[in-house]
Amino acid sequence: MRVPLSWLREYVDVQQTSEQLAERLTLLGMEVKGIEAWGADWRSVVVGELLTVEKHPNADRLHLTTVNVGSGEPLHIVCGAHNIAPGQRVPVALPGAVLPGERRIERTEKMGIASEGMLCSGDELHITSDAEGILILPPGTPLGRQLSDLYGDVVLDVDVKPNRGDALCLIGLAREVAAATGATVRWPEIKVEETGGPVGDRLTVEVRDGVLCTRFVGRWISGAKICPSPDTVQMRLQAAGMRPVSNVVDASNYVMLELGKPTHTFDGSAVHEGTIIVRRAVAGERLETLDHVWRDLTPETLIIADPQGPIGIAGVMGGAESEITDATTEIAIESAIFDPVSIRRTGHRFALRSEASLRFEKGQEFRLARIGADRVAQLTLAWAGGSCARGVVDTAPNEPVSPRLAFRPSRVSKLLGAPIDTAEQRDLLKRVGIETEAAPTGSRIRVAAAPKPLEIDPGSEEVVMAVVPTWRRDLEVEADVVEEVARVRGYETTPSHLPDTLMPAYRPSPLKVRNSIRETLAGAGLTEVVTHALVSPENDARLQWPGDGGLAIASPAAGGVIAVTNPLSSQHSVLRQHVVPSLLGVLALNERQGREDVAVFEVGKGYGRVGDAPQEWTRLAFVLSGDAQPAAWNRPARPYDLDDAKGIVEMICRRLHTPPPSYRPDTRGFPFHPGRALTAEATADAESVSGRVAELHPDALEMWELRAQRVIVAELAIRGLDEATVPRIHVEPIARFPVVERDLAVIVDESRTAAEVEAAIRSHGGALLRGHRLFDLYRGAPLATDEKSLAYRLVFGADDRTLAEAEIDAAVAAVRSGLEIDLGAHIRS
Amino acid sequence: MDFESLSADLRSLQARALEEISAAVDPGALDALQIQYLGKKGDLTAVLRGIGALPADDRPRVGAIANEVGEAVKGALATRGTELRSQVQTIRLAAEKVDVTLPGRPVARGALHPIPETIEAIAEVFGQFGFVIHEGPEVEDDLTNFQMLNIAPDHPARDLWDTLYVDIPGYLLRTHTSPGQIRVMQSTRPPIRALLPGRCFRYEAVDASHGSEFFQVEGLMVDEGTSMADLKGLLDEFAHALFGPRKTRFRPGYYPFTEPSVAFDVECVVCGGVGCPACSKSGWMTILGAGMVHPVVLQYGGIDPERYQGFAFGMGVERIANLRHAVPDLRYYLENDLRFLEQFR
Repeated sequence: MRVPLSWLREYVDVQQTSEQLAERLTLLGMEVKGIEAWGADWRSVVVGELLTVEKHPNADRLHLTTVNVGSGEPLHIVCGAHNIAPGQRVPVALPGAVLPGERRIERTEKMGIASEGMLCSGDELHITSDAEGILILPPGTPLGRQLSDLYGDVVLDVDVKPNRGDALCLIGLAREVAAATGATVRWPEIKVEETGGPVGDRLTVEVRDGVLCTRFVGRWISGAKICPSPDTVQMRLQAAGMRPVSNVVDASNYVMLELGKPTHTFDGSAVHEGTIIVRRAVAGERLETLDHVWRDLTPETLIIADPQGPIGIAGVMGGAESEITDATTEIAIESAIFDPVSIRRTGHRFALRSEASLRFEKGQEFRLARIGADRVAQLTLAWAGGSCARGVVDTAPNEPVSPRLAFRPSRVSKLLGAPIDTAEQRDLLKRVGIETEAAPTGSRIRVAAAPKPLEIDPGSEEVVMAVVPTWRRDLEVEADVVEEVARVRGYETTPSHLPDTLMPAYRPSPLKVRNSIRETLAGAGLTEVVTHALVSPENDARLQWPGDGGLAIASPAAGGVIAVTNPLSSQHSVLRQHVVPSLLGVLALNERQGREDVAVFEVGKGYGRVGDAPQEWTRLAFVLSGDAQPAAWNRPARPYDLDDAKGIVEMICRRLHTPPPSYRPDTRGFPFHPGRALTAEATADAESVSGRVAELHPDALEMWELRAQRVIVAELAIRGLDEATVPRIHVEPIARFPVVERDLAVIVDESRTAAEVEAAIRSHGGALLRGHRLFDLYRGAPLATDEKSLAYRLVFGADDRTLAEAEIDAAVAAVRSGLEIDLGAHIRS
Repeated sequence: MDFESLSADLRSLQARALEEISAAVDPGALDALQIQYLGKKGDLTAVLRGIGALPADDRPRVGAIANEVGEAVKGALATRGTELRSQVQTIRLAAEKVDVTLPGRPVARGALHPIPETIEAIAEVFGQFGFVIHEGPEVEDDLTNFQMLNIAPDHPARDLWDTLYVDIPGYLLRTHTSPGQIRVMQSTRPPIRALLPGRCFRYEAVDASHGSEFFQVEGLMVDEGTSMADLKGLLDEFAHALFGPRKTRFRPGYYPFTEPSVAFDVECVVCGGVGCPACSKSGWMTILGAGMVHPVVLQYGGIDPERYQGFAFGMGVERIANLRHAVPDLRYYLENDLRFLEQFR
């Protein structure tokens, strides 16, 4: 809410500088987001007096004027307005002046005559809405003074929180200022001179829905003359961020800003039979609203109607037909209390959120219905003349008493962690208008309100009764009183100490495995990325990344895609199921920046739905492209290939203390290279790693418009990413007896896989085989073209003795014959 | 052969040997000299062959001289050997000289993304005070995201959270990590000290300071007598840990799920409190929102609000990261330009 200080000062004395006041309000919970120097954008605009006004010899529309600006020779200024006359005081933009919107005024020539500046309209200065005429200043306005000195103001931008609708007005903020500074709030004197006949002769109000409209106060003014409001009023409204319209509409807006009471004014002649009916709309009814849009009304919509049909959407926007126009003379004033939820829903339904509806949504003080009607009538009479009908139409004239709210002063101290005695608490509450009184015996404490109400018996604890001011609709439970005490006392007085209460039970951190993998991958040269969970629907579909079929995974990617029903853009309209497509996006972006070597990973979620149950799972995905080792002066370049990806998977498995992963070929083809794709799986007691590793198919690279020749991708499910796992390391005793190594070159048909060879070695190695390692892979002469040689180093040993040659030979022989029989291998030792 | 001539031969042999040894220029030559003079068929042996012709009285005297000569030659060989090896080593080392100012062989090192790293930094601080990590779902139900947090449907405060809804009835993308408070309370008993990091979503157009996806860390502490003073104490420690010693302040804030509600400010990290554009000239920067858990929320969590009380806080991870690293644009985080990320290597 924009608060011009000069206006605020009408209701409360402000001794502080604007900065001091801003800080006090902020510390009281009315955060001042900005302090604006209103009028600071009038530079070199001064007050002048028109000495002469003559016709321009070359142009009928223009005038030649001479203007006294207090010092120096009178200026000759050409002006196009028609409301000027000698003797008037007007704003003069001197040559070199700057007006709002960075508009520069220079010495110019207009139709052959030099003009030494410009006379300004209110619109040009952004202080009134009048763009036609020059702004005529009051006769006594001091000559030569900078306009910003006279009409400049300081405007505070106050962030009023949604629970404090009562403070969305000058009176409300004046109350807060008073609480902060100890000053007193001055209400405007509200008095309506009723010179007309009885209001009942002009206006009848019938509320047919007493739930959605709890009070309707109406007044009637006849013989008003519609014209612009006084300049000072227009200036105030402008400074507060509201565009002046006409005197009657401005009166309504002025009261909304002043008292926080939205009201509406109808052209009385458009209210048929002088009868206003407040009711729900009937299906099929339509209304053209003030913004000249035809609205289809629904039975949920509360409307203001006359006997012929709708004339306004209650609390949201009036109808075009009953709008105040220049021809209006009869004015019906509506000042009502509507159901906040109904107004909010209606505003949403029609996508119409006005300053008025925002205030209705937050709830209105009941008393304000009458006060608002009177104040609008008073200001309308003052600015538009006419005569006000005698009396008001009021559908609920009995005003409720202030509610009482019991609280325990000890509770305040306990929540705040600072002892505050009862007397001080009562004093603090009084500063925000909350009177206190002794609580009757048997008073219960409301700890929580609907929808989970809880009232308790305070037992022997001291209880004080707070008298809740009628405007404070936010004070409902004891804790609300605590906050009032705390904020008036000043949150800055809260003591600061570390908790000395019990610690919670140990809980393994779900971040632990994630962090361990992240750090491991960074150490291996991969950079972590964090990408959008919301992606375009084509993103996953395009890549056709296979699901988790055939993989043993703790939290499988499952179900259909979850779509956002109100997406910001189609690019971010569904929740992703796979992370790799997002990483391809990162690769593409960085390629566009000229990066060729990209190795990135993400620990990210996938999302799906099984029926109406949402599922989430976490995956590790990485993408490798370009050089694994960029060339350096002491090293040649080496591009990433599938083996790098497998090496990374193996390192992760080591880090998580699983056995080495087992690999199976995946020959599905797209999106994978049909000969370079696999599944990798490793399982241990606590941890499991499983997923897919592949070089992408060239067609997939083309889809993402990637320049890279080869892109290696992987997406892995790791149990510890979804739940905290605690891997254990079981230590093998260090061998006391030496181990013996034997090398074996296994020549097999090309169709045999390394996995098959190793399985055979393991199964025939017997108890003495301690390990094996592939150290060479050879193809070519003297081998046949469809053969390859895999050279393994076998390690033999025993726990209780040094092995004899004969034992080792026997073990090697068993492996040899096993390989020959199982795989048709030839062995070269 | 007499004693005199034999001893003279020995002496001249010694002189000749020592001269040749000192003239030797490589270890191989020394090996040859050793054989030539001290070998079984060497010169010294040859000279001593004449000893048999001497009178018995002279033999020990010649023997002593021969020993002297042998020792002297041996000693000279050793000394010269050491000298030569040292020379060779010196030459080798000199030849192996490299330009030590050349850069090393690159060892690949990736960067860790500032969002998880900032979460980790936050978790590290609160972890020291006993806060354990919990996580909640990102596709959340309306009840937990709003209603159990005391935000009724049609409550004006819903405007604070522009929401993205999904095509599962009753579900939405969580607008904050606060529903985690409910989930923690429902699954654990006090004493509770919980930290809930995670991704959140809002219906908000993306610009330099807003994102439709962002990260928050929520904190919750519930016990008998947990007070606003405890909250202040912890947040002060947190601010000091992340931003160094600077002033902090509490001021009133507003959240439907806390009462009283708090905004926590630290002295501006850019200007140090004198006022600058970064802090809108106020000298303060708000780093998080907090407050005492509303009794309604405690009740939805299954916790008796008369016996227990507690506080909650929530902060934007990007905001904390921005302040720590002076990141100028929020879009950097999810864009993943390596020129940005690699600065965190």
